[in-house]
This record gives sequence, C-alpha cells and structure tokens, in this order.
Amino acid sequence: MPEVKQEAQAPLLPGVVAVALSTAYLIALLAAEKQSLVIGLLAFGIVAVLAAHYMGWLNPVARSFAEREGTLSVYAILAACVVAGFFHDNHFVLLLFVTVLLYTVATLGLNIEFGYAGVLNFAGASFFGIGAYTSAVLNTYTAVPHLLVLLIGGVLAALIGSLLLLPVLRTRGHYAALVTIAFALLLKTFLEVNDVLGGPQGMQVKGMSILGWSFNDNFEVGKIEMSFYLNYFVVSMLLLCGTFVLVRRLERSWIGLNLDAVRLDETAASCFGLDIARWKITAFVLGNFVIGVAGALFGMVGGFVAPNNYTFADSLIMVSILLLGGIGNPWGLVVATFIVVVLPEKLQTIQEYRFLLYALIVIMVLLFRPEGLLPRPVRRYFPGWRA
Amino acid sequence: MSRIVRHLSLFFASAVFVGALVATAQAKDKVKVGFIGPLTGGVSVNGIGGRNSAELAVKLRNADAKAKYEYELVVLDDECKPNVAVQVATKMAADKEIIAGATHYCSATAIATVDVYHKFGFPIIVWGAVLPDITYRSKYAEVHRVNGTMIDQNDANAELISKLGFKNVAVIHDTTDYGKGHNAYFSKSLAKLGGKIVGTFGVTADQQDFTAELTQIKALNPEVIYFGGLTPIGVRIRSQMDKLGIKAVFDGTSGIVSDAFIQGLGPLAEGALAFREGASTEKLPGGKFFLENYAAQKYDNPPEAYGAFSYAAMDLILDSIEKVGPDRKKVIEELANVRDRDSIIGKVTFDDHGQNTVALITKYVVQDGKFVEWDDSEYAAGKRKLPGQK
Amino acid sequence: MDVGLLTQYVMNGLMLGMMYTLVAVGFTLFFGVLDIIKFSHGDVLTVGAFTALATYIGLRSVGISSTPLLLLAMLVVAILAMAAIGMLIARYLVMPLRSAPPLNTLLITLMLGTVLREMVRLFYPQGANPKPFPALLPTGSINLGQFNLRLDNVIMLAAGVTIIIGLRLLLDRTKLGLAIRAVAQDEETARTMGINFTAIVLITFAIGSALAAVAGVMNGLYYNEINFGMGLLLGVIGFSAAIIGGLGSIYGAILGGFLFAALQTIGAVALPFASAYKDVFAFTVVIALMAWRPTGLIQEKISERV
Repeated sequence: MPEVKQEAQAPLLPGVVAVALSTAYLIALLAAEKQSLVIGLLAFGIVAVLAAHYMGWLNPVARSFAEREGTLSVYAILAACVVAGFFHDNHFVLLLFVTVLLYTVATLGLNIEFGYAGVLNFAGASFFGIGAYTSAVLNTYTAVPHLLVLLIGGVLAALIGSLLLLPVLRTRGHYAALVTIAFALLLKTFLEVNDVLGGPQGMQVKGMSILGWSFNDNFEVGKIEMSFYLNYFVVSMLLLCGTFVLVRRLERSWIGLNLDAVRLDETAASCFGLDIARWKITAFVLGNFVIGVAGALFGMVGGFVAPNNYTFADSLIMVSILLLGGIGNPWGLVVATFIVVVLPEKLQTIQEYRFLLYALIVIMVLLFRPEGLLPRPVRRYFPGWRA
Repeated sequence: MSRIVRHLSLFFASAVFVGALVATAQAKDKVKVGFIGPLTGGVSVNGIGGRNSAELAVKLRNADAKAKYEYELVVLDDECKPNVAVQVATKMAADKEIIAGATHYCSATAIATVDVYHKFGFPIIVWGAVLPDITYRSKYAEVHRVNGTMIDQNDANAELISKLGFKNVAVIHDTTDYGKGHNAYFSKSLAKLGGKIVGTFGVTADQQDFTAELTQIKALNPEVIYFGGLTPIGVRIRSQMDKLGIKAVFDGTSGIVSDAFIQGLGPLAEGALAFREGASTEKLPGGKFFLENYAAQKYDNPPEAYGAFSYAAMDLILDSIEKVGPDRKKVIEELANVRDRDSIIGKVTFDDHGQNTVALITKYVVQDGKFVEWDDSEYAAGKRKLPGQK
Repeated sequence: MDVGLLTQYVMNGLMLGMMYTLVAVGFTLFFGVLDIIKFSHGDVLTVGAFTALATYIGLRSVGISSTPLLLLAMLVVAILAMAAIGMLIARYLVMPLRSAPPLNTLLITLMLGTVLREMVRLFYPQGANPKPFPALLPTGSINLGQFNLRLDNVIMLAAGVTIIIGLRLLLDRTKLGLAIRAVAQDEETARTMGINFTAIVLITFAIGSALAAVAGVMNGLYYNEINFGMGLLLGVIGFSAAIIGGLGSIYGAILGGFLFAALQTIGAVALPFASAYKDVFAFTVVIALMAWRPTGLIQEKISERV
C-alpha cells in the first residue's frame, strides 16, 4: 500500500536565524537618526534579501515557518519584546511600534473579509475610526472599564457594518466596491459635520487605565525609566497575538475552508450546498469587529480622534498593505505593515511623497507580482506532506 | 618602523588629538528648538512666513558670538489639520532633544495639541492662533502665547459695523473650533450693540460649493456677511457671492489677512473688511529691524500677518534657554516669569494662563488690491463707500 | 418658497448635474468597452484642469490676452493631453491586466488615481494650495427677481448638452461608433469581423479622457478655482452616477448624473440645519439604491442569476 511520505520535520534553525537577523536589523533601523545611515541600511536590507532569494536561502526559512509556526511565533514575540525593551525610554519609537502592531491587527481583520471570503471592503479606516470614536465617547462620558470599551468598540463597528450587509450581499464586483467606498466617504463627512462627536475638531481620548494603573504615566522599574508607551505595547502585543491565533485557526478550520470556497467560485460553492450569504456575513462581521477593537485601542494610544484620520485614502493604505504583503497571508501583513508605517517616518525626505510612493509600489506589485511579497501558500492538510 | 616615521606619526596623532580638544572646546553645545506651522495646504503662506521668521531668529542668534549655545531649528508641518497636528506635536514633544517650540498658526490645530504638550512637559509659545481656549481652557504651565485672542478682535469688528450703520448681519463660519469661536464672540459683541444676526451657517473648512448657503442668505437679504474662517474658503465664498449677485459687505477676521486672499480674488476683494490684533508689522516697535533683516535673507515668501509674532516667540525661547540652560522644566519656570519683556512686538507679559495681552486692534479694508488700515483709507474719509453704506 | 429662489436651486442643480454627467459618461464608456472601472477618471479630470491652467499662464506670459483664443487654446491643449494620457493608461496599465481578476484592475486604477493626484500636489508649483482659475466666459447676468441668470452658466450648460448629443451621434451614426459598440458587445466577434481591438480601446479611452478634460475646465470656470483634490470626490460621484443609471448605458449615465445632483440639491434645501449633510444624504440614497437594484436603475442586460 503506498504510504504517505512523511518527511522529517523541517529544522527550526533557519527560521530562528531569520527572526534574529530581522530583529537586529529592525533595532538598527529604528535607532538610526541620520538620513544617510537610514538610506544605507535600507539599501543593505534590500540587497541582502534579494541575494538570499537568489542563493536559495529563503526556501529553508519558508519551510521552517510553514511547519514550525507555533515555535517560531513564540520566538517572534520574544523578538518584539527585545525590541521594545531596547527602546524602553524612547517615546517615539515605541509609539511607532505600537502603531505597527495595531495596524497589523486591523489589516488582519480586513484580511478575513478580503483575503479569505473575497468581500470587498474599502472602508477599513472607517471601521477603525468607529472603534476609536467609541473609546473617545465612552472614556469621556462614562465610567465603563477600558477593556470593556475595546470590546464595545468592536461590537459597534460590527453592528454599523451590518447596516451595509444587504447592499454588500446583493452586489458583485464594481458595484460592491462602490457600496463600501460610498460608506467611507459618507462616514467621514458625517463625522465632520456632526458637532456632537466633535466635528472636524475631533475629540480628546483619555488614556487607558486598568485597575487604577494609569497607562499615560511614565513608570520606573528600579532605576530605569520606562516610557508610558510600554503599557500600550503590552496590551497591543496581547491583542495582536490573540488576533493572529484567531486568524490562523480560522484559516485552517472548516470555516476557513468554506470562506475560501465562497471566494474562489460562488456558483460552485452554492452548488455544494454552502450558504453564501451566511459565510459572507460571518466574514464581514468578524472582520469589522477585529478592526473596531484595534481602532478603540489606537484611539486611546493616540489620545485624539478626528474625522481626517479615517478618510478614504487611509482605507486605501490598508488595502495596499494587504496587497503588498500578499492577500491572505498573515505573516506577509506583518512585514508589509512595517514597511508602510515605519519607512516614511524614518526617511524624512520621503514623508511628503509617501502617498505617491505607496501608490507606485502597489501598481508595480499589481503589474509584476500580484501575489504580493509573501504569497499565501497552498493549503496544507498534513504537516510535512508535500504533494 | 623607522624612528622618523614613528616620531612623525606620534606628532601627527598628538596634533589631531589636541586639535580635536580645541575644536570641541570651541564648539558650542548644540541645542534643538522646534517650529510647527502649516507649511502646506491653503494657508501655507502664513506657515512659511512664520517658519522663515523663526529661522531668522535662530540665524541671528547663531551669528551672535555672545550666545552660549548653537541652535538648530527642527521644523514640522501641521497642514492646518488637527489630526496631523497631534501627530507632529507628539513627535516633537516625545523627542527629548528638542527643548521648546514656537507652534501653530491655525487655532484648530493649536487647541488640539495643548494636551499633548502638557502630557510630555514640552514648553511652547503659540505665535498665530487666536482662539482664547488655547490658553484659557486649562491652566497648563507649558502653554504660552504671544499674539492676542479673538475676543478683542470681534469687539472691534462689531463696533465698526454698528458705527457704519449696518444692522442686519448673516454669519458664515467654519465648523472647526476657530470658526465656532469667532461665531460665538462676534454674536455676543454684536448683540450688545443692538445688531441683528439674520442667519448663521456652518460650513466645513474645505467646502467647495456654497451656493446652497448663499442662496438662502440671498433670501434673507443681510447688509453684511460676517465670515469666521480662513482664507481658502473666504476666497470661495466671496467669489460665489458675486456669482449669485449678493451685494453685501464682506466682513472677515484675522483669518483672511493674507496676500493669498487678494491674489485669489483680484478686483473682487475690494471693500472687504478685516481685523487683527497688534499693529501692522511696520508700525511695531521692532518692526523696521525685523523687516530689514527679513528682507536681507531673500526669502521667497513675505512674513505675512504673524511673522513678527513668530520671531518674537522664538526669540523669547532662545533668551530663556540662554538664561537657564537646555532643560525643559527650567524653561517652563523661566517662561512663567516673563513680565514686561522687550521684544520686537512690544512689551510681553504672560498672565497666569501664559497669555500675552495685545490691546491694540488694527482695522483693515481692502483698497486697490492691498490691506489698508481703515483709519487711513478712503472709506473712512467718505471718498469711497462700502456696498449698501449710507 | 419663492419661485425665483426655486429656479436658482434648479439652476444650481442643473450645473452640478451637467458636470457629474460628463464624468459619468466617461466611466460608462470605459466599462462598456473593456468591462473595467477606471477609478482614476476623476483625477484625470484634475490633471486636465491643471493643464488648462498652466496653458493659460503660459499664454498670458507670452502676451496673448484675447479671451476666446485663450479659452480655445486651453481646451485644445487639455483635451489632447488628457487623450494622450488616457491612451497611455489603457495601453500600459489596463490592457496587460485583462486576464487578471477584475479586482486587480480596480485597484491599479485606484492607485493610479492617487499617483496622479499626488503628482499634481507635489510637482505643480504650490500644488497643495487651491488655485484661482480665470473667468473666461462673459459674466453678464440677468436678474429675474430672486433668480440671477448668469450667461456663463447658460453657455456651459449648452456646451455640455452639445457634447453629449455629439457623443451620442458619434456612437450611433459613425463607423467608429459602430466599432466601439461592437467591441462593447462582444470582443471576440468584433475581432473576427476585422475590427482592430487595441485601436478601438485606445480611441475609447482617448474620448473618455477628453471628456474628463472638458469637465475639468468647466469645473474651473464654474467655481473659479481648482485644487488637487477636486477629482477624488467628482470621480466617486461620477462613478455612483454611472452605476445608478446602469453601467454601459449612456442614457443611464445622464440619468444618474442629474439624479445625483438632484439628490444633493434636495438635501441642501430640505435639510436647513446643515447643508453639509447633503453629501451624507446623497450617498445614503446611493447605498440604498444599490441594495434595491444591484446593477443600477437601467438594468444590465446580463446579470448573475445565482
């Protein structure tokens, strides 16, 4: 009887080495201040990755990640903590890092909608904004505990999203795109003209505080002064881990299988008895919930919400992160978010040109490598089994 | 190595070593100060004018041999948008190397960022924003302001309108805190003098099409249209007023005192009113000195209405750092004690909220493509009449 | 309400509708021919307006000041330039992606729109500031009570109507129009019949972009001002209008354009507390319409039935 060939599990080492090298590189990049140094580091990074690709060194790394994902994720978390610890008193770098983490969570939510179920959502930033405004309003006017505020932010985003369900379900392709685009514009205009929610001036958001520990005060461990952003880092990291695990499990489960079927061919899927509407609704609502939670936390981190933060252009940035990283691949998202968020801050000279550069990069990606930087691998049924 | 080479290398190394010592001894410590203003967007001429003025202050100070430190100006752009302002304010305040900053022309941005500066303990002096709440809403030791607030401006405005015999006013204001503030203070002042507000319309700061509001205003037939907002939409409203054939007086605030307003409207700008706290730059105590030095730098942009205030703010910051050293907390303490300090805009005193009192209000009217002081104009002399003036 | 006032509102609505229709017709043409939505259409409009402005400034600095000549030159330059850009976009960005999922084309044109917008903002001198656009049409006006009938509005309306009629005639009565309609209906058969597919696509894009240029100049003349962001909202509104009317149908685009303008005007009139809510109102109605008629008011001939 032919046996399913079980190869030995991929070695852990390539993955660990890759994580360690990336961490060192990240620390160097974040610490570099002089523009010439930054540009030098970036050039070095690009050359190094291309060289590794051509020498075939990236293949063992990919295999490690694919098969030993659990362990490597733990290493990645440790790496993040190392980076945070290194910059423990540098407010701005930590703020940047937290921004990356929360944007990754939001794009993971978008990934559930776009990447798994194929539901077009060009209003990602709007749901992010709904979460942020929820935390603004609840923190200012009520005494709801802040962790609960995060949840409520997510629920509210999901609820408002479900108002769009009927048009989203009934439309396909361009028409579906229009629904969410119209919603994105609508929400921004609504927030701007509505005085109750602060109008164009926006609202201040009180910082988070859990059980009396105020997140907005610097604290000290022994003699070392720590930036208050470390508090937010811990919560964001927890949120990211939770969402990452959720997305991974979802993808591997029967739910993920159904979502993929709906995305790839609706006609065939419904012939097989899948209720298209049900799965699209699940993806859309769940995705918006995740985006809303991330938004609520980000509102508290930044301390300020305004309609201009959540425009259609910002939604397009989230979509470009998704495309750049590779639709459907959570690891790709992490990398892409870093690139999109950190690069313009570091390269001051391109700050002004960043929208132009993103758009050009996405056009290049779409023309020459539509799968993105880290394309989603084919679904694996048996770990170690390679067809 | 031969003896000669060894000696030569030793000599060379010592020379370098001593030279380095001498160089570091000569080199002053570098201190960073910051500037935030709207460098892009509709009001960028004001922001760039302010930036050039602050840069001028830093340059003159660095050229002064008596200065203890060498100053570097870090410039950030708030785009006149509150959310961008909060981001750049966080960036500047979180950077421990920047000691203090001269910040903001747009009131909408200034009011959004006061909490950020307080959170990080970053001392700032506002140079262009006129909303009273910026200094008066909370008592933050970090926040100061050298220019005046809009209260006096609107009092003078209402006074002039009533003196000229106009009774019916329609108000258009933008929906940021700046426009809302103007609306609130002007309405109060006008009501005290017996004028009547026939309608109030809020518009967004980047609105394109005002035909809806202006058509309704046309039906209300006011004598004056009061505009509480900035130059970009001021230009649009004035030109669309003309398109709809509305013949009321266009009455604006310090937000439209800008060359961009006249350039945008051409002959249509004739007869527009505007008010600003402080004397015109030429008439300030240090005005001539400032304008001469500014011209010598050959900037593309004029200093605009608030350039002198930006210079004064930066100068005050540099004075404080010279006195107490590059330490944020000490600078905050020092700024709290500013009483009757001389500056190019006159004597500066910060009250317990960090606000400087600027009593004089200048009234402007646009005449022949220039902002002319009302009292010097042909309108005051009766040679020309505003639309609907008796 | 006063009849004059009402007429004023109607006039405002008509002007807006005309501008939206010109954009919507472009969208519908592209969709008809290639089954794609070119989201960068609104930003092509912006580039067209700025090109016209640059032409104006250039000609004035050389000393030409005859108004009709200036207007003509601006229009011609803008139309030719935009037609060229339209063809380039079609050739290098849209056609290579025909075999890819339509999502990619959508995204690439969205990004292209951003590129165009940012290039105007960054590379046109002081592009981030709104720029005054010269008033080149006669500014006489007749006052009929509360209603101020302006000559330039009438001229623009007339021009818009002429263009649309001209387009219709082009499509219905000429060989080129026949070719375009053939390609829109069935690409393969059209090719079999000897029609040069690529050429027709390029020409269609050129026509659509030329229309955008005209709309841009009209917008500039109407508001006496242009800014780099004007294309984004106009593009989305034009797209909504095209969809409301049903993609692929010129009559649908006209219907959609004027319907959207009507929605906005009604919103501005009926909601006295904040005419700024008119956009919210209009977009809500659009979303509701999409829920009711997923492929527009004038239904697409073929729709998915599953």
